[in-house]
Amino acid sequence: MTSPLFWVSVLTLAFIYASVTMVLNVEAGWGGMWDLGVVGLMAVGAYTYGITTANDEGLTTKFQPGWPIWLGILAAMAVTGIVAFLIGLPALRLRREYFLITTFAFAEVFRQLAVIQADITNGTVGFNRLQRPFESVVSGSNYNYVLLLIAVLVAALVFALTFAISRSPYGRALRSMRDNEAAVLSVGIGVSRLRLQTFVMAGVVLGGIAPVYLWWTRSLVPQLFIPDFTFVAWTALVIGGMGSRVGPFLGAIFLITFTELVRLVDVPPEQIKLLIGFQPIAIGLLLILVLRFRPEGLFPERNAFGSRSRAAEIS
Amino acid sequence: MQNVIFGLITGSILASATVGFALIRQTENFLHIAHGQMLALGAFVGFVFADRGLNIFISGLLAMLILGAIGVALGHFVFSPVARDGATVLLFTSIGVAFLLYGVMIAIFGTGVEIYPVSFGGSHEILGASISTGELLIIGLATMSVIGLQMFLSLTRVGRWLRASASNPELAALRGVPVRMVSSVVWFISSALAAMAGVMLGVLGTVNTELGWANILIILAAAVLGGLGSILGVMASAVLLGVIMDVSALWIPTSYRSIIAFGALILVLLIRPEGLFSVRRRAESM
Repeated sequence: MTSPLFWVSVLTLAFIYASVTMVLNVEAGWGGMWDLGVVGLMAVGAYTYGITTANDEGLTTKFQPGWPIWLGILAAMAVTGIVAFLIGLPALRLRREYFLITTFAFAEVFRQLAVIQADITNGTVGFNRLQRPFESVVSGSNYNYVLLLIAVLVAALVFALTFAISRSPYGRALRSMRDNEAAVLSVGIGVSRLRLQTFVMAGVVLGGIAPVYLWWTRSLVPQLFIPDFTFVAWTALVIGGMGSRVGPFLGAIFLITFTELVRLVDVPPEQIKLLIGFQPIAIGLLLILVLRFRPEGLFPERNAFGSRSRAAEIS
Repeated sequence: MQNVIFGLITGSILASATVGFALIRQTENFLHIAHGQMLALGAFVGFVFADRGLNIFISGLLAMLILGAIGVALGHFVFSPVARDGATVLLFTSIGVAFLLYGVMIAIFGTGVEIYPVSFGGSHEILGASISTGELLIIGLATMSVIGLQMFLSLTRVGRWLRASASNPELAALRGVPVRMVSSVVWFISSALAAMAGVMLGVLGTVNTELGWANILIILAAAVLGGLGSILGVMASAVLLGVIMDVSALWIPTSYRSIIAFGALILVLLIRPEGLFSVRRRAESM
């Protein structure tokens, strides 16, 4: 009854979200930076890729260099990193809730700008003929398998990166900064520099993930970058366990497959709104229940700091 | 001048939504992201009654009462059990509640757009601008409710309890303030005010399920501009923000309206994180 293509598509999305959640984990889980603007950086990366690689006769936008795919990806990473630097410079002076509000507001500003600056972004119509890698080699529905492979590879790369970070002096400095900033300062680690580095790194990696997300959605419109995206990634992180190495990955895979499963249910058209409503309801309930009964997540952080420091950190 | 009137309408509605948000921030100590969804739900509940042919004022009042009750229930069954775990858990629980309410609204009302069956009455000329009776009523009601709240907080015993438990909950509890009851009062008032703002927004424009997400950032902006602490500061900054958003439309395309709000928010956070109308340094901003 279900085609394998459905599962390939769902898994691709799940692996893309897993990559984003792992980046968020480095930022928020280890660095203690509560970033609610993940989707804003994704939008910057996606639009950089979409605009620089646009290759469509019908487009009337002003700036169309028509770069090859690899150059577009590099540009997306570079531009997103620079934007992260520019946001981080002022925003990282604020802590916790106020950092969170600022990043949230920046993400919303980017989305609105994408709608308004139609001469560059093509407004709400966006880009519908995106360049995808290997499309000339593998055609038709088989391409979905290629995309899944790419998403898995990207997730593996991001996982390897976070794994390396977690064992490096940099990762330890990051986590100790989260747990006790004064102590880290006292041993001579520049806290504001560390925070800015981490934020820019998150930007560069998100800029690299964004094109893969575009290959999956097949079109680039501002509606992709509503705050929901950020909240889904955060929910995956909270469910999986903040600060854990495998938690964010498993949390995202679980959350996405679980909420997409509902599409398999056959309902009469007049009840379609129940189906649309199910996904936010499921996300909301999961978030509320996990925070209530297992605030450390399903796969809590286990490392030198132990689980007790996690419980203390969350409060 | 016409834009100033529009700004005053936007601002007074925004003020009644934001004071509730600020009240929860003050007494419960977290950013209640689901406040925007409460507003949207209020708009829908009011619409359901108005659509059945009920008078708009009675519909609005019923929406306020129902949403107030929902707010009290949420505070009691969802938020207070995790209150010990701190502001972050509360904040993300609130995001969970926002998703839940959003999904429930879609499941019940669908993603269509609804319009309140009301008329605004004749229009009046004030200082060269026209304003309808309905719009005047909205400004009046919103202003009265916010001033009423301020008087309630400063003049009545429950209001004093409320302010006491906001500034020092342990001490207040020690001195015999019924903290749980006070918390319920806060949830009722702020949710009812959100519902009122929702009904007003619905009457002026349209009702749809995106209302909550669209408004929570503007509410956040107004609350932070006002400094979250003082009710009057929040009210002043909400009106100011409304006027700025609508008056700027004279020179800048209206599509930049919310960018202006968020731009103001970002600027204030970076330059004066304690808020425009606050005298106390904000501890969290470091």
